[in-house]
Amino acid sequence: MAFEYTGVDLPIREKTIASQRMSWEMIANPGRWWTGAERVEIARIGRAARDFEAVGSEILPEAAVYSIQKLVVDNANLNREWYDEIMASEGITEDRYVELVAVVVHSFSIDEFHRALGLALEPLPDPVSGEPTRQRPAQAEQRYSWPPIVPKAGLNPGDEMLYGPMEWGANVISALSLIPENVRWLHDLSEGHYLSFAEMRQPDPLRAISRSQIELIAARVSALNECFY
Amino acid sequence: MLRESSQRSGTIDNLNLQGTVNPDADSGVPQGSLLTAFAEAAVRQTDALPGLRDQIVSELGVQELVDAAGVVANFQRMVRIADGCGIPLDEFTKDATDDVRDELGIHEYASAANTA
Repeated sequence: MAFEYTGVDLPIREKTIASQRMSWEMIANPGRWWTGAERVEIARIGRAARDFEAVGSEILPEAAVYSIQKLVVDNANLNREWYDEIMASEGITEDRYVELVAVVVHSFSIDEFHRALGLALEPLPDPVSGEPTRQRPAQAEQRYSWPPIVPKAGLNPGDEMLYGPMEWGANVISALSLIPENVRWLHDLSEGHYLSFAEMRQPDPLRAISRSQIELIAARVSALNECFY
Repeated sequence: MLRESSQRSGTIDNLNLQGTVNPDADSGVPQGSLLTAFAEAAVRQTDALPGLRDQIVSELGVQELVDAAGVVANFQRMVRIADGCGIPLDEFTKDATDDVRDELGIHEYASAANTA
């Protein structure tokens, strides 16, 4: 089983481990637009990019490889013009791009947890065979972000509460919703590494460090990435 | 979020948001300088990282180190979602934080272009 943390003398929380295992399962399985093998390859390219290794791929379109590398090492310089160029490239669509971003950022986040703690990276999962479902939610609309997003009614059953009282959710929560599974994924890994959406509205104590310490770290990481959001 | 959580807890008298962008500024958050140094070393993967881990364990505790690493990991993800999808600031955040963004120079970031 993945994420056993064998020989690691650190109190890794159960929710952290569960959310990381769920993420590996998500990556290994076929999505809506990429196969399991392609999704694992996306994670592999992202992992190499963190070490400034510009590795190629025999199964991903060139624009996908380039997008992964930009997302990992040059995210502060992404802009609308770049996005439009990617959308005009062979082998990439809005749907495939959103799914790619989700795989990159979730696998990257788990790797970053390990790097921050000085732990060896978890081996990437073996891909699960099968075809992508190729289903775009009928409710998808172009709103304020580059790719379309879906409203509460387009989310998977049981996930509606993740948008809170907002029909379209907070911008960062709905950003990857063109693949509705991403909204649950976003939440569950947030809960494992940071706070659940419900905990964000609750007072201390939530973790071993205070909420102010948590938000100071968050703000510093955002500033280091020159992220306006 | 930092300003809001500090106001809500009422435990920080002199919150200085410069501590989020300037490593030499004291944020006023307990052990804030150590935690931001750890965050910076983790994001930049510098040689200072192992020593800072030890320092957090020594001054705060081992669970605190693990939780701090989780926050770094989470926001390494969140910023890439925001940048990768070109999302603007939420309306409810924009007006409430405009002064802070000016003060900290955040309007200069390239991704500010995503917010009209």
